[in-house]
Amino acid sequence: MLHNRCTANPNPCRPLVNRARWLCLRMTVWLLAVASAGLVHGAPTTPSLRFTQALAVAADTEWFPDLPRARSVQLPDDWAVTHPGDVSAVWYRVSFDADGARDSGELMALYIERACSSVQVLLNGKLIHVSGRLTEPVSRNCQRPQLIAFSGALLEPRNNQLDLKVAGFPVHRVASHQRAGGLSVVELGPHSALVAKHRWRTAFAVNLPQVITGSLVLVGSLIFAMGWVNRAQSFLAYYGALLIGWALVLSRQWVSDMPWPNASSEFLLAILASFVTFAAVQFLMRYGGERRRWIDIGLPVQCAVMPLSLMVAGPQRLHAMATFWYLVLALQIAVAAVHYLRKAWLLRRQQFWLMAALGGAMALAAALEFIAQQFALDQRVVDAAQLLPPLMFMGLGLRMVQQYGRALHDAQQDRLELERRVQDAAVQIERNFAQLADMKVEQVTERERKRIAADLHDDLGAKLLTIVHTSDNERISTLAREALEEMRLSVRGLTGKPVPLLNALGDWRAEVMSRLSQAGVDGHWQAPTEEDVPQVLSARAYVQTTRILREAVSNIIKHSGASRCTVRCTIAKGDFQLIVQDNGKGIPMELDGRLDRGHGMASMKHRAKQLQGQCLVESGPGYGTVIRLTLPIDRHVAPA
Amino acid sequence: MKTILLLEDLPEIRSWLKSLVTQVFPNAQIVECARVHDALAQVTAQKFELALVDLGLPDGSGVDVVTALRESQPEALSVIVTIHDDDEHLFPALQAGAYGYILKEQSRELITEQLQRISQGEPPLSPSIARKVIAYFAAQNKPQANALPHVSLTERESEVLLRVAKGFTLPEIGVQLGLSRHTIADYVKQIYRKLNVSSRAEAALEAQRLGLFRR
Repeated sequence: MLHNRCTANPNPCRPLVNRARWLCLRMTVWLLAVASAGLVHGAPTTPSLRFTQALAVAADTEWFPDLPRARSVQLPDDWAVTHPGDVSAVWYRVSFDADGARDSGELMALYIERACSSVQVLLNGKLIHVSGRLTEPVSRNCQRPQLIAFSGALLEPRNNQLDLKVAGFPVHRVASHQRAGGLSVVELGPHSALVAKHRWRTAFAVNLPQVITGSLVLVGSLIFAMGWVNRAQSFLAYYGALLIGWALVLSRQWVSDMPWPNASSEFLLAILASFVTFAAVQFLMRYGGERRRWIDIGLPVQCAVMPLSLMVAGPQRLHAMATFWYLVLALQIAVAAVHYLRKAWLLRRQQFWLMAALGGAMALAAALEFIAQQFALDQRVVDAAQLLPPLMFMGLGLRMVQQYGRALHDAQQDRLELERRVQDAAVQIERNFAQLADMKVEQVTERERKRIAADLHDDLGAKLLTIVHTSDNERISTLAREALEEMRLSVRGLTGKPVPLLNALGDWRAEVMSRLSQAGVDGHWQAPTEEDVPQVLSARAYVQTTRILREAVSNIIKHSGASRCTVRCTIAKGDFQLIVQDNGKGIPMELDGRLDRGHGMASMKHRAKQLQGQCLVESGPGYGTVIRLTLPIDRHVAPA
Repeated sequence: MKTILLLEDLPEIRSWLKSLVTQVFPNAQIVECARVHDALAQVTAQKFELALVDLGLPDGSGVDVVTALRESQPEALSVIVTIHDDDEHLFPALQAGAYGYILKEQSRELITEQLQRISQGEPPLSPSIARKVIAYFAAQNKPQANALPHVSLTERESEVLLRVAKGFTLPEIGVQLGLSRHTIADYVKQIYRKLNVSSRAEAALEAQRLGLFRR
């Protein structure tokens, strides 16, 4: 009808923008129209009836008992108030008129939000519904709403009789007031009017808990496995255990038929709380990085003591005992949570907020639960409060999985870094080892040289010395003395370190000048001053040059008859040059044109050649002698 | 010279040296030893004016005898008679208190002359030994060089050392500095003495550091 009114718009030829706006509006209106039409169509022609009063009598009979004890009670009825004894079943009777319901031909329904723990329904003496077993083990359907569809033909216009037999347990036999026997308000009306209510309630009370239970078990197992494998993060295992425990607690909402008596179920649910507490407290401690031995021992002991105390108290006092324990356990968790949060506030501010939110949610849920037990609250709020903690648990669980993944990634990075460092260290060690080996070789060589030198001195030296001082033959003792000097120089060449050229010049000068002066020869020495001589000589070059110089001076003293001798040292153009000049009679030529071998010229030349240098001798009778020793400076006179 | 200690392990050389010493000091009483042990015993037993000490001996080093003499008879003159001419061997002996050294293979005339000079207070000093002495005192005079009783060379002594290191002979240095031969010899003697004093102080300090004097 609405729809028709809209299409009858009198101005279809507006400008484009307006047309579009109108189109939009029309679409919206059309949608509203469809929706409201649906509502109108679904609206019951027969009004629903809400029964808030019933005739109740406690009796475990097959039919509504004909007893005088029957009295009128208010619905919702709580057995704890109206039937405080040890009651196992209560009959309720409601009488009502149903004008027109029969004629409307509609499918009728009875909606019972809560019939704890199981219900059987008779309408006008005919059985129309059984929610589960009514004898032990009684089905546990306290949270499960019942929608009973029946034909309107079963209704009479007047004096219909609705009988409900509720089987359940007095409050002192159950662990929670939630599962104490009772009956909620009963509604009767067209099926279409009640089905939405039932669906909504079922979703909250049964389906969602089912889904969440499954998820909690899944996430909990995963986290538990992670903690089990990685003992360093034991808090993960406890958290996993906490989630699984909570899932079991939550399963009370939807698990209805157990193969064992109700008392056992209640007992198991009660002791489950101690395990949940065990897991929660341990998780909070370990997550806060703490470990206390007395807690490690105390909590398992408590898990053993609690069932024992419940057994000792007996099924009659289950509720009282369980309530006491719940308080104790809740207090433990609260203390652990406060302790943890205080620590997190000081050390890990980021973690604090998440955990504080979780703790807040838990506290809120607990508070709502408590209020719901004392005052009448909208059932939906209570449901939401009940579902809040597991959702928070799941959020934290997922965060832990994420943290675990990140830690794994970090560990992998660290491992790579470590591998790289180990490799570096290995290279370094190898290098050091090589250096050490080189040093060792050098040390051994040095020691061996010293040993040879000592042997030469002690053995050969002593013998030569004996020859020097015991031989009657002057020539032999001179030869032995020269051999001793040679030996000493050889040892120095063997063991010696490089000699600064300046020091070598000093040594040479002292030797040459003192020998010349002793022989009465006028000696002159010309050499660069110290600022000009930064070079060093190898031990070998030093020794060989010393020998050449010594030989040359010996020749002058012995053979030349010179009165004057000049020694000049120069360093130029990469050459070190030593010139020894005298004014003696010169060296006589041999027949083959060579200089006299007896003057040691050959050995001087040979030594110079060994050093890649040369030794030139210029001499002529009456002209004196000039000996020029030239050594390449780059080889034997290295820069200091 | 009245009493002379002669420490030499080779019999031929010992007798040769004895004849040489007898020639230089005709009236002297010569005590011959072949081992360090015997020489140390002699040092405690009697006084010597001169000691000719070989370095490399079968039961140790002659340096120990030089040290013992220096401590018990400071007036005695120790002279090293050795085959080693390198300062690695000579320097410790000089530090221990020897007043010069003689190389054994030298001719009889040369040794005779050197011996005479030493006994007259003119010890020899080679360029390499001079360089070592310079380096030693330079290290001693560094700021961190511990609480030694301060022994340092005078400017003149340093001057003489530097010139010796450059290869100038002692007479040459005398001429250069306008000093007599005896004055130069006195400087050299003084240098030897200071080397010994400083070395002994250093050794005492080192021993203290090692806790040898703890008692």
